[in-house]
Amino acid sequence: MSQIDENQIHDRLKRLSQVEPSKEAIDRAVKRARDALIADEGCRVGLAPPSFIGRLTKLAAAAVLMIGAGYIAGRVSAPKPLNVQELQAALESSMKSSLVPAIRQELISQMDDRWQSTLAASNAKVKDELARQVRRDLTEFAAQTLAASGTRTDQRLNELIQLIEAARIQDRQRMASAFDYIESRFGNGLVTLAARTDELLGTERTGLAPDVSEN
Amino acid sequence: MRSRQKELLELLGKSGADLYALLTRLTLREDVAEELMQELFIKLNNSRGAGNVANLNAYARRSAINLAFDWRRSQKRTIPALGQAGEPASNDDSPLGKLIHSEELQETLDAVGKLKKSSREVLVMRYLQQESYDNIAEQLGKTSHQVRALCSRAIHHLRDVLGSNEHKSSKKEIHNVANR
Repeated sequence: MSQIDENQIHDRLKRLSQVEPSKEAIDRAVKRARDALIADEGCRVGLAPPSFIGRLTKLAAAAVLMIGAGYIAGRVSAPKPLNVQELQAALESSMKSSLVPAIRQELISQMDDRWQSTLAASNAKVKDELARQVRRDLTEFAAQTLAASGTRTDQRLNELIQLIEAARIQDRQRMASAFDYIESRFGNGLVTLAARTDELLGTERTGLAPDVSEN
Repeated sequence: MRSRQKELLELLGKSGADLYALLTRLTLREDVAEELMQELFIKLNNSRGAGNVANLNAYARRSAINLAFDWRRSQKRTIPALGQAGEPASNDDSPLGKLIHSEELQETLDAVGKLKKSSREVLVMRYLQQESYDNIAEQLGKTSHQVRALCSRAIHHLRDVLGSNEHKSSKKEIHNVANR
């Protein structure tokens, strides 16, 4: 950032201080200011406010005029004196016509409120009773349902056990018949085979060595 | 004729030329200074505060300074800032030199207008009106020492303001050159 030198500032200020208006311009300006001052004072004098007493007199006159006008207007516009009986009758009829419907309406609304509050109380009781009844019924139904389902489950389990037992008996019978069949078909053969095998084994034990030496 | 008007006419006779010169220095225009001079005296005539001041001359001087700077603020100068020439023009009598000098003076006055009121008044009284510190102190109701300090601070602030202006305008110039 290029800073301006302080000497330059002083130089500029000095040049400013050397600015001088011309003599004619000074005279003209002073004359103009003097004329303006005098003219301003003249306007001020011309428009000078009235004195205090003058203003007070004017205010007083205006106040008197206003009061007089108000009094006259009041007298002219004042109503005639009223007949008291007529006024009473008019008031009665007016009050009747205005109060009776209002009182009736008020009574109706109060009755409505009472009915509503009574009905609301009984309604609440009925609701409680109904809720209790429903709860009781539901509990009973649940107990019955549980008992019935338990019995039913026992029955089903017994049936299942019986079925399983029958199936086991049937299997055993089949196995027994199968063994009988095998025995009937291969029973003698097996005995013969056993006997022959026994014989063969005995023979081998006794004569196996000489047969070997002969060969 | 009221006493106020008498005082003002006396003031006009005694210090009218000085006040007009002051206004001319602050506006750099004789016609505007003439207008402001008229406005100043009408204001002083109608001002209620002026009746209570002890030193009407000082009051008028301060009012003139304020009027001139108000006028400067109200003027939107359309003259584009010239390059901030660090050195004076080679020939002061040339039209360019005059223009640069005039621009520098306008810039300085604008910068003075940006100072605080007290600094501005002290600066104008001291450096433009060439008044003594004691005289300024008497007019402002301060001590001479305080006025000296105010002057020093005012010059410092003025230097800052002018420096920042110069920085801004040089940046703008660089930007303009770059755009070309």
